[in-house]
Amino acid sequence: MNKNLYQPINGEIIDIIEESPTIKSFVVVPENDFKFETGQFVELTLPGEGEAPFTPSSSPAVTEKMEITIMKAGRVTALLHACQKGQKVGIRGPYGNGYPIEDFVGKDVYIVGGGVGLAPIRSLFLTLVDRVKDFKSVTCRFGARTPEDFIYKNTLFGSWRKIDGVDIKLTVDNADGKWTENVGVVTTILSPGDVDIKNSVAVVCGPPIMMKFATLKLLEFGFGDKQIYLSMEKNMSCGIGKCGHCMLGQYYVCKDGPVFTYDQIKKYPNIWD
Amino acid sequence: MQTVFVNDLEPFLSAVVGQMDVYYPRKIDSHYVFEKYNSSSNRKLEINNIRACTPAKEFLFPLRELAAVFPEPLEPRDIRPFAVFGLKDCDLRSIEVLDKVFTEKDFEDPFYIERREKMFIITTDCSEPAASCFCNVMGGGPFARDGFDLNISQVETGFIIEAGSKKGDEFLAKHSQLFSEAGNDVLSERQKNRETAQKQLEENNAELKFDAPVQEIVEKSYDSDVYDEEAATCVECQACTRVCPTCHCFYLYDTKQKDYFGKMKMWDSCMRLAYAQVAGGENPRKVLGDRLRHRFMHKFSFFLDRYGINMCVGCGRCVDAESGEVDIREVLKKLSQELLGKGGKKAEVAQ
Repeated sequence: MNKNLYQPINGEIIDIIEESPTIKSFVVVPENDFKFETGQFVELTLPGEGEAPFTPSSSPAVTEKMEITIMKAGRVTALLHACQKGQKVGIRGPYGNGYPIEDFVGKDVYIVGGGVGLAPIRSLFLTLVDRVKDFKSVTCRFGARTPEDFIYKNTLFGSWRKIDGVDIKLTVDNADGKWTENVGVVTTILSPGDVDIKNSVAVVCGPPIMMKFATLKLLEFGFGDKQIYLSMEKNMSCGIGKCGHCMLGQYYVCKDGPVFTYDQIKKYPNIWD
Repeated sequence: MQTVFVNDLEPFLSAVVGQMDVYYPRKIDSHYVFEKYNSSSNRKLEINNIRACTPAKEFLFPLRELAAVFPEPLEPRDIRPFAVFGLKDCDLRSIEVLDKVFTEKDFEDPFYIERREKMFIITTDCSEPAASCFCNVMGGGPFARDGFDLNISQVETGFIIEAGSKKGDEFLAKHSQLFSEAGNDVLSERQKNRETAQKQLEENNAELKFDAPVQEIVEKSYDSDVYDEEAATCVECQACTRVCPTCHCFYLYDTKQKDYFGKMKMWDSCMRLAYAQVAGGENPRKVLGDRLRHRFMHKFSFFLDRYGINMCVGCGRCVDAESGEVDIREVLKKLSQELLGKGGKKAEVAQ
């Protein structure tokens, strides 16, 4: 029989990190080394309960374990949030395309992220900073609803900002008394002077509404449709371009994406829904 | 490839039954369904004059099947060779569509492939196309040209059996004692019958003519209100997608059994409201008309772009199964007419 692409490999959750009131990161050890490219996604199965797609948030350089950051948003994610260390899980994938890192070489990489959208971005960020000199800059503009809602707080507020070639600005919709940075939606910290637009690529990942307005802002700054990379999260189920749930116009997000340029998908209505 | 003749199909059926499981058509009211041959039932084989109302996909991609097991992977299942008797040209072309999806390199569905390899396809000519049949508009016809193992054509005095594959040819050779030579008289009778059926189809669908390729019509009508208007009568029963022989959307879900966890694969429908919805509640096709448009775009544009063939075979099953008033032929006609109305030269012709 051909390889069964519906069969997950076994894995175990060995650690759980509380990132925010609604988001946890799960450290999963697969039974075999698991290779993926940054931006690709996996289907994580809670045996007997359900399966859902997630882009790992860890560096693809690490293959013996991976981190998956999950927001409690539906039935399966709520069950995952209730799991303890030692929980057995299944992993299928990796699926889809990753970020075309080689096309980013020599350019300003302008990363706009929000909420749990920082999960795929963390994997991308770790991949980029591994060879940070290959890029003109890694310029990050991240938003969250409140300071408490930021995930990866330790590195975001600390070590990442000390890396040469990295520039990070943060914003929150609602600040608390201790917040010293920008207040406002993520587009309020985007500025045309942040990067050399002609020689840049932009990467956008976050809640649909944020992706929409960030993309419109980037277009307004003069970014070309092909310079904007969007990580689209649709209802990817089979992961292999058959079951149809994730179709976005002609594309299977699971197979042709999840990373698309705005140019590829702009003609379809409701891409942000 | 051989073409032979028999007076009676029963010995032929027995020969097939001797080698594999057999599914053959059973008439219920004016429709045919497939039923497994059972030696004790003693039911005679009859030639179905039109396609069965159930799609051929059920033999290759069952309504529900176990796709994975935890913690130990699924053992390959022992699928017995099986023959399906009474498939039609439209069924063959629908299998061609499914093959594109489920045998795609690097993305093979092992369960589909297993069944596909075990399937012995026996087609029969259509003698009386149904009012809903419009295969001729979609590039098909009332008899199979290729893709079958054996094809049967009924004539006055018996049946012509033609091999269309090595498997079929070997079968005829193995059972040569059952058959006699197909003479020119019966072959020309077959030709006449086929022409009659073809003519019938053409008459039935005389109104269904387009001034542009269907793909172009559908693509150019992307923003048409026709979808919303048509969807107004849809009752979301999803029957159209169930009986469609090329619709292949499915749904994976996990189950708990007594001694294992399973992952099931089950037919799904893009016409279902929550079909594309994600956990956060976002849904790109909340509106029924948008789902109908997506179904048409997938059938007549996206699939063609990706795999090079049309995803509608014109079998008309969705027309028969429709609980509302959405008729795939009428939708295409309306889109086409609307487009003509907008155009320059073509609009004059239409008036």
